[in-house]
Amino acid sequence: MSSAIINVDDALEPTLQSILDQKTLRWIFVGGKGGVGKTTTSCSLAIQLARVRRSVLLISTDPAHNLSDAFSQKFGKEARLVNGFTNLSAMEIDPNGSIQELIGQAEEGEGPAAGMGGMMQDLAFAIPGIDEAMSFAEVLKQVKSLSYETIIFDTAPTGHTLRFLQFPSVLEKALAKVSQLSTQFGPMLNGLLGANGQLPNGANLPEMMEKLESLRETISEVNTQFKDENLTTFVCVCIPEFLSLYETERMIQELAGYHIDTHCIVVNQLLFPKAGSECEQCNARRKMQKKYLEQIEELYDEFNVVKMPLLVEEVRGKERLEKFSEMLIHPYVPPAGGL
Amino acid sequence: MPSLLLTVFLLQLAIHLVNTFGASSINTLLWNLYSNLPISKSESSAEQRELKSQYMKVRKEMNAISSQDEFAKWAKLRRQHDKLLEQLEKNKASTDSTRATFDSAVSTLRWLGTNGLRMFLQFWYSKQAMFWIPKGWVPYYAEWLLSFPRAPLGSISIQAWFLACTAIIILVSDALVAIVALVAGLGSGTAQKAKKEPIAVPSEKAGSKEKEEL
Repeated sequence: MSSAIINVDDALEPTLQSILDQKTLRWIFVGGKGGVGKTTTSCSLAIQLARVRRSVLLISTDPAHNLSDAFSQKFGKEARLVNGFTNLSAMEIDPNGSIQELIGQAEEGEGPAAGMGGMMQDLAFAIPGIDEAMSFAEVLKQVKSLSYETIIFDTAPTGHTLRFLQFPSVLEKALAKVSQLSTQFGPMLNGLLGANGQLPNGANLPEMMEKLESLRETISEVNTQFKDENLTTFVCVCIPEFLSLYETERMIQELAGYHIDTHCIVVNQLLFPKAGSECEQCNARRKMQKKYLEQIEELYDEFNVVKMPLLVEEVRGKERLEKFSEMLIHPYVPPAGGL
Repeated sequence: MPSLLLTVFLLQLAIHLVNTFGASSINTLLWNLYSNLPISKSESSAEQRELKSQYMKVRKEMNAISSQDEFAKWAKLRRQHDKLLEQLEKNKASTDSTRATFDSAVSTLRWLGTNGLRMFLQFWYSKQAMFWIPKGWVPYYAEWLLSFPRAPLGSISIQAWFLACTAIIILVSDALVAIVALVAGLGSGTAQKAKKEPIAVPSEKAGSKEKEEL
């Protein structure tokens, strides 16, 4: 414990305490390459946050949903309380699937995209990525109305996440153009289309423009929130291996390009063989991990670098997650005399 | 009037020269002159050169070290590299836009100075005679043609004078090009001959030496 306090002087403390302390944080993203322990980290962080916040929501945008696995409880599209907690909820959304549902709803004349019908479908397939962004925007709209104090995103592996974060600005530009065109040529189009402004496929032009405009507003609002370091932060999860490190560095640079704050790195799956361990593989791996750990510490001296050990059991279920989450706040002390 | 005759000739000569050397190469020449002038423009180009050399240095350094063994150092260089690259691209874009403005300005001025001026002269002096030809030298239809379109009959119109100048200039320039080509061809022919001889001589000498040794 005392070592942690001493560390504060020369380097940033190796815990996620700063996130717990920053009460203004509303959006927390947890991201990294696949298989480095994003879900475990995000679940653990959610558990720790639930202790100091009024209410916490954990959302998985990864198509391979692991939240259900981690908590051994089925989650769906609607937020649901996690068993054993009173202020921690979780939900799983499929960014690729929900657009189909949106279109389905629209055709039945209900849901947020009602009245856009075939037009919506054309739009969804005309611009690559718009389906994801729109469903993401819808989810964010829902989440905002649910009034959770903190929302944690367990994101999909790297590329996916960045596309999400980058998309709003692209969509905003496109929609601004469309709205401008419609105000200029709207009257003329309406003259052609008749009094009701019916488009050939049964959509209504003014109504559709209104919908797009509201979508644009949501997206731009979310965009400004994400760029505010008081509201949003990104926690990078990596393992001490070359590719993971490379991806993490790239991600950090890209996030800086989008003006998204990031100041925490969780280094996962560290091996700490006991003193006099005979396991050759473990010792060799420990040596390699040590090399990369040194590099991480040299490169990310302005980050909170949290070191998490590789456990012998899978981190599943509430108790194990809670035990694991303790190590995010109180640094793990490796066995004495090890390599 | 002789000054107008001379002006027309010189103008036509200038147009011909521009056409032969190509507008783009003239623009490039002017651009190089302009960017080497001691004004703010040349400072930015020097800065660009400096940036480029720095970029190449960082790149070389980055390629020299192993990203796996010294990741921290490599990543820092990489950040520097990306930053420099971005800056270079931004600078290049701004230089390109300046160049485009410069080119269009120069092109406009050049057009005004050559073809524009010619059209103006043709219009302005269209009713004036350049000079008169003695009566009876050429038949009526030729007189009419020479004074075309609006100069008084029996005179040479400015249009006709322009055409005459063009014809002479093209004739002379073609002749010059042909002569130059001929001389160059002769020169290279003799040079080839001259080259052949010294090659032949040492081989003979070497051969004789070998013979001696044998």
